[in-house]
Amino acid sequence: MFIQTEKLTHIYMPGTPFAAEALNDINFTLAKGQVVLLIGPSGSGKSTLVQHLNGLLKPTSGRVYFDGRPVGGSKVELLKLRRRIGLVFQMPEEQFFSETVYDEIAFAPRNLGLADRELDLRVDKALARVGLEPDRFRHRHPFHLSSGQKRLIALAAVLSLEPEVLILDEPTAGLDPVGRRRLYALLADLNKKEKITLLIATHHYDEAAALADQVLVLYHGKMVMDGTRSKIFSNREALEKLGLALPPVTEIMHDLADSGLPLNKDIYNFEEARTEINKLKGSGTNES
Amino acid sequence: MSRSITLGQYLPGNSLVHRLSPRVKIAVLIILLILLFSLQNFIALAVMFALALMLLAASRIPFRYFIKGLRPILFIVLFALIIYVFFTKGGIVLLRIGSFTIESAGLRQGLFVIARLLVLIILSLLVTLTTTPLSLTHGMGYYLKPLNKVGLPTEEIAMVMAIALRFIPTLMEESQRLMRAQVSRGADFETGSIFRRARNLIPLIVPLFISAFRRADDLALAMEARGYRLGAKRTRLHEDKITILDWSALALVIGLLAFALYFKL
Repeated sequence: MFIQTEKLTHIYMPGTPFAAEALNDINFTLAKGQVVLLIGPSGSGKSTLVQHLNGLLKPTSGRVYFDGRPVGGSKVELLKLRRRIGLVFQMPEEQFFSETVYDEIAFAPRNLGLADRELDLRVDKALARVGLEPDRFRHRHPFHLSSGQKRLIALAAVLSLEPEVLILDEPTAGLDPVGRRRLYALLADLNKKEKITLLIATHHYDEAAALADQVLVLYHGKMVMDGTRSKIFSNREALEKLGLALPPVTEIMHDLADSGLPLNKDIYNFEEARTEINKLKGSGTNES
Repeated sequence: MSRSITLGQYLPGNSLVHRLSPRVKIAVLIILLILLFSLQNFIALAVMFALALMLLAASRIPFRYFIKGLRPILFIVLFALIIYVFFTKGGIVLLRIGSFTIESAGLRQGLFVIARLLVLIILSLLVTLTTTPLSLTHGMGYYLKPLNKVGLPTEEIAMVMAIALRFIPTLMEESQRLMRAQVSRGADFETGSIFRRARNLIPLIVPLFISAFRRADDLALAMEARGYRLGAKRTRLHEDKITILDWSALALVIGLLAFALYFKL
């Protein structure tokens, strides 16, 4: 298993009257090359869980494994781990501190001790990977970009580590619909073309659901559901009890199918939905 | 890092100490501190110490939590003891280490000073542990009010203090979040020379300032939208009422002070 947690429990400020259990006995595995969606209402522990996977937070008890080895150990070991697992925080553009896009993106590889020539290559490659022209953006001021562009630069600033796994915490928070669509198209490409394993933690998964292979559901610090996308989203009642809804497209397909139409409910984007519904039209006219 | 924040941080509760009015709590603290510094002998100090511990027990603050918060202060206390023990001369020589001597007057003085320091810390922490920062600033604002007459904008000063206190935990949390975000980009805040470490803080300080300024802007706008104006008379949602409990506490400590001063304890 690529990433695995074993009885992971995290308590904030243990031993004080402020102690709060954020994660309770979390067990899950995640296979290489997959897109995994981590969903749950706000405050369910998604961000806390995600920060354990690259060793930023240490479990109060239990363990995290990456590529067969326990996460943790010396500083050098952790740096190696963070090179392989890129973590994009919520609103990552709030971490900007440089005066040029170049410096912002070069920050991570520079911390790895790479030479200047290698840095240039990394920055250009990272910009190209997020679909921004290196020559146009390299020397711009990161604070003067649009919010969508800022988010892409923030993503490039993590991609410059060339990680095998990309973990994103609410990647589309605060983006407009076009920005959201663009970001998810990009993430889908990273997974399909470059085989980057993705873990997306979000409570706004209308678009993200279209990419997912596996879905994890966190509720009050407990992993309450874990399975393939079709398994999790076929269980509409259970999700609604947790205050979660189906993605809108899927919900429409469920409603239509429940009203008696012979439709496949396991659908997550408009293209598939259109094809599926058009099939119905075809069969309907044939019968009459 | 996060542990040191707990020092003196307000703990919600409903004990007698919690229920005292913040204004009275401040007055009681000041009177007790005057009393503390007028005491000249060990027995009286021991009584004060016992009194402080009794108040601590009455506040129902978990003792272990209290001790934990005290840990960073122990260093200062120890340092004070060492200074006194080595540099105050007089009485009989107890120990000789090379050219240094420990003499009985030094030891006596040192113990007296740290006992006094401990009582002072316990009493002060007790106030901050049982009072929200907000009501504490309101309490202080009350005592500053007379300065209004000489043209000091005390209402505004109290507001500035309240806002500063309110945002300490927020900024702490923010800085920790930023730190983790930059660490996951390979940043290192812990190794290297002091000069290097200071330079390494740039990725932390710049975003922190930006967000602090943005927060300040938002807050100013939100306050104006709710009708906050400089110099305007404001009323309070939670009126600070002086109860019989407050009067008895005040009477008690004033009595104690008078007693101690009269008998020159």
